[in-house]
Amino acid sequence: MNLKQLTENLFEAGSRAGFSEMEAFITGENNLNLRVFRGEIDSYSVEDGRGLGFRGLVGDTMGYSYTEKVDESSVEMLVKDALENASVVKSDAKEVIFGGSPAYPQVETVYPALDEVAPQRKIDLAMAIDREARGADERVSIVQSMVQSGRRRVSLFNTRGVALDYEANGISAGLQVVVRQGNETKTAWKFKFFTDLAQLDAAELARKAVTEAVSLLGAGTLPSGRYPVVFRYNTAATMLETFVSSFSAENVQKGMSLLEGKIGQAIASELVTIMDDPLLPLRRYTQPFDGEGVASQTKAVVEGGVLRTHLHNLKTATKAGVESTGNASRASYKSSVGVSPSNMYIAKGACSYDELLKKMDRGVIVISLAGTHSGANPISGDFSLGAEGYLVEGGQIIRPLKQFTIAGNFFRVLQGIVAIGDDLEFGMGHIGAPSVLVEELAVGGE
Amino acid sequence: MLDCSLVRDVLKAALSTGGDFAEIFVEDRYSTRLRMVGGDLETAISGRDYGIGIRIFQKLNYVYAFTNDPSRENLLQVARTAAQALPGAAGSIVLDLTRLELPNRHPIKILPESVNKCQKVDLMTRAYRTAKDYDAQVSQVSIDYLDDDQKVLIANSEGLDVEDRRVRTRTMIQAIAAKGTEKQVGFYGPGASMGFEFYETINIEDYAREAARIAVTMINAELCPTGKMPVIIDNEFGGVIFHEACGHSLEATSVAKGASVFSGKLGEQVASEIVTAIDDGTIPNAWGSQNVDDEGRPMRRNILIENGILKSYMIDAFNARRMQMEPTANARRQNYRFAPTSRMTNTFIDSGKSTPEEIIANTEYGLYAKYMGGGSVQPSTGDFNFAVNEGYLIKNGKIDRPVRGATLIGNGAEILKRIDMVGNNLAHGQGMCGSMSGACPANVGQPMIRVAEILVGGQKGGQ
Repeated sequence: MNLKQLTENLFEAGSRAGFSEMEAFITGENNLNLRVFRGEIDSYSVEDGRGLGFRGLVGDTMGYSYTEKVDESSVEMLVKDALENASVVKSDAKEVIFGGSPAYPQVETVYPALDEVAPQRKIDLAMAIDREARGADERVSIVQSMVQSGRRRVSLFNTRGVALDYEANGISAGLQVVVRQGNETKTAWKFKFFTDLAQLDAAELARKAVTEAVSLLGAGTLPSGRYPVVFRYNTAATMLETFVSSFSAENVQKGMSLLEGKIGQAIASELVTIMDDPLLPLRRYTQPFDGEGVASQTKAVVEGGVLRTHLHNLKTATKAGVESTGNASRASYKSSVGVSPSNMYIAKGACSYDELLKKMDRGVIVISLAGTHSGANPISGDFSLGAEGYLVEGGQIIRPLKQFTIAGNFFRVLQGIVAIGDDLEFGMGHIGAPSVLVEELAVGGE
Repeated sequence: MLDCSLVRDVLKAALSTGGDFAEIFVEDRYSTRLRMVGGDLETAISGRDYGIGIRIFQKLNYVYAFTNDPSRENLLQVARTAAQALPGAAGSIVLDLTRLELPNRHPIKILPESVNKCQKVDLMTRAYRTAKDYDAQVSQVSIDYLDDDQKVLIANSEGLDVEDRRVRTRTMIQAIAAKGTEKQVGFYGPGASMGFEFYETINIEDYAREAARIAVTMINAELCPTGKMPVIIDNEFGGVIFHEACGHSLEATSVAKGASVFSGKLGEQVASEIVTAIDDGTIPNAWGSQNVDDEGRPMRRNILIENGILKSYMIDAFNARRMQMEPTANARRQNYRFAPTSRMTNTFIDSGKSTPEEIIANTEYGLYAKYMGGGSVQPSTGDFNFAVNEGYLIKNGKIDRPVRGATLIGNGAEILKRIDMVGNNLAHGQGMCGSMSGACPANVGQPMIRVAEILVGGQKGGQ
């Protein structure tokens, strides 16, 4: 179907109905997701999804509507709904249809060889991960391996002459392992987002998951108290992800962030630098333009512990009297424009993981966290989370720990970071971190 | 929703290789989402979801495919592409679709799309004002309103052909109280499988006031102490503890693969004998109810645990094969983008004998969790984690003082055995439950219960 023709007709109908400026945001995706269980494919899904998000200005207000029937039959509904939605919306900050950036960066979002990989090779990969994990240790009781691959297309057209699009592809593989010993059951997950099939060592990925699950067996208890804590790279990233909404200017302007009025001030230990980089080659949130068509740009959000900027879209930037940082998000064609980080990460430090443990001497390593959507308050920064990990004494891992709790405040954790590892990882998401050592946290055990 | 002969041809194409069962799920949904922050309607968005999901079984394997393009050529091609993932050749197929006509158990009086959006905004404004005016410490209030009109057609190669229409609405109220740099959140989100008439059956202002009261109570509360203690969990949304700590582990998704702590335990004592738990997708107009599940089976009332004995799992058609058991009409999916799997509907611990007053009076020291927040569970181990949205310490059989920042941490199977009092005040609360087949509306419920001991994670440090 000709999207350009469809949007032209849509804009024509919209302009007759009274919209001054309009935009169509269109995405399409083709994915293959498969899972293997006990040497057999137990799910295999072929996805062909698309949708169109329409928005338009009537006076000063923006009306939104969307459809998954991306054809002429939807034009009337899109215009009528957006018009009614505009009539009820009231906001003091104005949304705009963007006239375009002077230039757009070249970014690497497509790995061409990936499109040539036959489904059978993806099946073989999931099978190999499953086989390697089941064979790695006799205590392995359940393995679930999976491979997901996909390609997406994003197009943005508006009545101010913007016509942008990009495509991106990617593949990820991972597994969950459950191990049993006596009455004890432990589990571990490993996932990897990659582009080149040859880069992925199925045996190594499987072994990492099994080794980690097994390492948690024989867990002991810990007296409740205050301990130094190492957040391993994945849980450091989970912590940042849980509280990342505080950096959004949208939340700041709504009074839902403690980072209000903190620009130029130290909000973290001077060791901490947090980057937001939509231009990293072939990463999850790599894109040449954001959800409003603003050119993507790399920026330090926190530099040497000092908050440099909030994340902005056009609306929040206008309200704050600054430039958009290119962080307008369009979670899908169904969502209105919001603010979200792109590839955001804590910059790596100089310490190896072993050096972090030596520095900690006696304390706790957190390797997994549970309850981040219930036990954490993204506004206040307060958290009380279930955790798994190890006890460290004399800079060495002594034993795994039964599920314990860690509690505190995210912003105090940022200030309490005393060393940063050199092991930056993104995992599956778009938020990355190296392992970090925090001076002290409340740990609840026995 | 889709021509009957096309449905038949798609099912045949899906069985063109070695598949032994094929199903088509057609969805046409119209939704509205409105969001009010600080009294202004900030977001209004509405539109149409439309798509078709095709599922094929071959013994213990399955293939799923979806598309938004309903043209005959595309649907046949999607069905054939999906079929090609399975080996083998087609057997002889006789397809005789029979339309299943069911009475509508969940009648709708006022279709949400027939209501002017201004009326919806008025409702939100009333909720906003009530919560905001509750106390000067209420610094921010946001209201989310949603309605959905989902029409589905489900047909399969066993001859099933059924349509259902699910209309739902919900209003979620979040109040934030602030004191210095501290902020606390109070939440209430009533919803039902009803049209706009739902708001004639409840007073939205009562819920708004309650959300504000929770936030204000918590901002003035002390930090909760950490440690093991008896915990009293109040009725209604308190049922999230059963939902998370037990319900998920009773879903075939985890049971079939032996991944659940309840695998192989039918007929065994898995809970204290005062515990009876039920999943009931038939409750008229309840948030988690439908006429048929997403495999087209009429919804059922399933007793999961009776007097502590495990009676039933929640089973979908695919896992039923692995388990060699019958499906229980619990197959659900967020939308056509997901293959359905076993999910909860309206799940609750049934009423017991104690009065709430007796339960509190019989507790010397402990935590009273008046409102629970969300939680999560690891099905293979049963380890769970819940937030307490409004908590109080209990001393000498009396509610002492509010405490904030508490989480309940433990293990589902162990907690079930430690329930030592069950109240007589069953009520249901609404939530969105997330799992493999996406986010589904689900009721949680229970009367007030007491658990003899739970690890409470607080922020006050060790005792």
